[in-house]
Amino acid sequence: MIKTDVIIIGGGATGCGIARDLALRGIPHYLVEKGDFAAGATGACHGLLHSGARYAVTDPEAAEECITENMILRKIASKCVEQTGGLFVRLPGDSKRYRDRFLKCCDDVGIPTEVLSPTRALELVENLNPTIEEAIMVPDCSIDPFRLCMLNALSSRHRGGGVLTHHRVTQILKEKGTCVGVRAEDTFTGQKKEIRARLIVNATGAWADRVASMAGSSVPMTLAKGSLIVSNHRLTNMVINRLRPPSDGDIIVPNEAVCLAGTTSINVKDPENISVEHHEVDLITTEIEHMVPKFGSTRMIRAYCGVRPLLKADIGDSRAISRGFRIIDHENGMLSIVGGKLSTYRLMAEKMCDLICDRFGKKATCTTAEVPLDGQDELTGYPLSKRLKKMDEIVCECELVTRQNIENVINRIGPRHLEDIQHRTRLGMGPCQGGYCTYRALGIMQEGGRISSEESIDILKSFLQRRFKGIKPTLWGDQLREEQLIESIYVGILNLGSFRRWRR
Amino acid sequence: MYDAVIIGGGISGLMASLWLATKGRRVAVVSKGDPMCCLSTGCIDVLGHTDSPLKDMKKLPSSHPYRMIGQDAVEESLIFFKEIMETVGLNYTGDPSRNTEILTPIGTTKTTCFVPTTMQVSFDLEEEYIHVISFKGLKDFYPSYIISRKKNASFSIFDMDVYNTMGLAHAFEEKAFLGRFIRMIRDLEVPNAKIAIPAVLGLRSPGRITEEIRMETERDIFEIPTLPPSIPGLRLFRGLKKAFFEKGGHIYWGKEIASIEKSGNKIEAITLAGEGKPTRVHGKAFLLATGSFISGGLYATRESKAYETVFDLPVYMPDKRHKWFNDDFFKTGHPIERAGIQATESLRPKDSEYENLFVSGSILAFSEIMKYQCGHGLGISTGVTAAKHMDGYLK
Repeated sequence: MIKTDVIIIGGGATGCGIARDLALRGIPHYLVEKGDFAAGATGACHGLLHSGARYAVTDPEAAEECITENMILRKIASKCVEQTGGLFVRLPGDSKRYRDRFLKCCDDVGIPTEVLSPTRALELVENLNPTIEEAIMVPDCSIDPFRLCMLNALSSRHRGGGVLTHHRVTQILKEKGTCVGVRAEDTFTGQKKEIRARLIVNATGAWADRVASMAGSSVPMTLAKGSLIVSNHRLTNMVINRLRPPSDGDIIVPNEAVCLAGTTSINVKDPENISVEHHEVDLITTEIEHMVPKFGSTRMIRAYCGVRPLLKADIGDSRAISRGFRIIDHENGMLSIVGGKLSTYRLMAEKMCDLICDRFGKKATCTTAEVPLDGQDELTGYPLSKRLKKMDEIVCECELVTRQNIENVINRIGPRHLEDIQHRTRLGMGPCQGGYCTYRALGIMQEGGRISSEESIDILKSFLQRRFKGIKPTLWGDQLREEQLIESIYVGILNLGSFRRWRR
Repeated sequence: MYDAVIIGGGISGLMASLWLATKGRRVAVVSKGDPMCCLSTGCIDVLGHTDSPLKDMKKLPSSHPYRMIGQDAVEESLIFFKEIMETVGLNYTGDPSRNTEILTPIGTTKTTCFVPTTMQVSFDLEEEYIHVISFKGLKDFYPSYIISRKKNASFSIFDMDVYNTMGLAHAFEEKAFLGRFIRMIRDLEVPNAKIAIPAVLGLRSPGRITEEIRMETERDIFEIPTLPPSIPGLRLFRGLKKAFFEKGGHIYWGKEIASIEKSGNKIEAITLAGEGKPTRVHGKAFLLATGSFISGGLYATRESKAYETVFDLPVYMPDKRHKWFNDDFFKTGHPIERAGIQATESLRPKDSEYENLFVSGSILAFSEIMKYQCGHGLGISTGVTAAKHMDGYLK
């Protein structure tokens, strides 16, 4: 049995942020996550560090939080943030009155703006639609949600915090009506652990109601699915937004070698069984084409979706619901934190930890806005020349991941999960989406004795199925052709379709 | 002026060319680049979802190209293929009336029909002890996949100072390298084991090299196909090309078609794009063997349409985009596999204005190659059959 002060359930940005904040305040804690870091909405968003401009008109309070946090994260998480800058483009027919209001509202909450002529905007982003009326520059950034979570968790670990990924909470332990701990199960080995604490924090996003119900409470939420598509090229080096009230397909964000375009908003009931519909892909593509005409003829490599855990409100359109967050005290030793967004994760953690300190009667001020995240010095990026040194050893050609990179991750954290390697090396994140390298990575994992062959074939098959789910909505043109090649390898050459086990 | 101009340098186009060249026709092949068969195992799947390909052909839907050309034509074409490959030293074993199994690099077995002799497994794969040899540095070959799935197997990794399949295939053609390898096999302490090796035993003369290793080591040795780039696929392609050149054929390689010239209801010539003066290829009959989506013969759009990329022929397309694929990746028979050019009994495109245009291979509608595992068999048999119809037309 493990004893600690606070158990945090959920390894998204909020949970990891709380772990780091508690660590800096010297409060013992344990984080439990059923998958890898950023497995929920954190990892399924568009990776935008909001300037706040998107919310300036509809939700000034959220906008103000965003711009403040934006400036903080640039400092404390510089290795997770790419300072791309963003444009809000006004197309012919888009309201000029909205534009005036937008500028005023940005000004009211302190978001710096600069109005650019079409010529100037096209100089910055050459793939922009040349017929735009104007563009407004704002300090939007691109952010790597996975790295952000990992470094927050690392900061916690460095200060004695416990972090358990791939552990599912199976039971919340209660004594005399109060939560006193959790039982968690290793999703790979089935091994059970009991952790006891003075307080439980439920930071599980779209799963918050489910977790709360395990403690006999509830969290009223609206779950809004948002879908995105990934383009094969980095069509823009700046975030491009449409200058109009929030709507479908109004943003495209550069991310490493690709662009993420979205989003949609469809209310759903179950956060687990969601998928991207073809009409969403068509809608996003058509809308993004208005801003970046080349988008329509670019090869799409994948579509994905996440669930926004929004505070319950009786409003039909989930976009009109505040993106603000709330802490719910279930008055049974559990605190839930819901709502909010990736950009304000640190602020959310700060408020939660203030409350925890208050509960514990501990005087410790928040320093997360000043202290940089741990482990950033080691992140040198991956200079191309360094990665190309041993060409024969490259396992993932799209992202130039070497055998050494994979072995390092295996040796360091001993993963038995493919996702662990993918997230930490970017293996399989490129245009082929792991179509070639996954088979190799699993071969290397077998050599290291991490998994057996039967397991590896099951993992490979479930990976290919998951991968196909993401790729299927984007199958036309060149992507369809690439996918049929992958099919010919796994179903044709390797005969995994009718794979039978040997007699043993 | 050529008798026949074959558009597409894949297995179907090359087999059609070979048949016509054998009949003394003047043939030119136009190809954009290396075909899909380079990425294949080199084995010839005829009808892989059954045990008896020829017998079960009649169970296929009547729209399937095999049904259209008939079982006899399929059998004749396959025999012709085997004979041709023997002339270039690439021997195949197999019988179209029954399928056989080969070992895949992931330890599964794959059902196929004609197998290069180097890959032939003439014993019970499941029962026999197998020792797998791999080579240091191969990215796509992990013996552990096979070893840990099989009850009686072991492996060795040889460091031969060559670290990729292509380099190894070239090296095996050298006497000294082969000798060194044979000594290493002899030194293995695995009595009675059958030896499995990734398919790298030579590019030009794999049969001779494998035979020499078998003789010198007195062991059963067989190759396992690898993932693309595949040496056996490349051998097949190079063998076909070599046979065609030996019969005096001409290939326009790496050329895109810039324009089509027609007169009345005939295609007169095609013009190839390139640097300098464009090349005009003039012919009496034309064959479209450009392959399906994967090879670029067809192109699908987001608006649920499909184009045939050379002549803009009408394409049969099943349903709208969201229904092209099943949800299950492994459930073969995705509806899009039925897409393609519908042909008449004489393998002419249906509803086409051209009387001297023929069509063969995976671009044919209703082929469903993954579902029936009939890729190369379909390419060969429709290619040869189309060639016969072209020959008839030229008379």
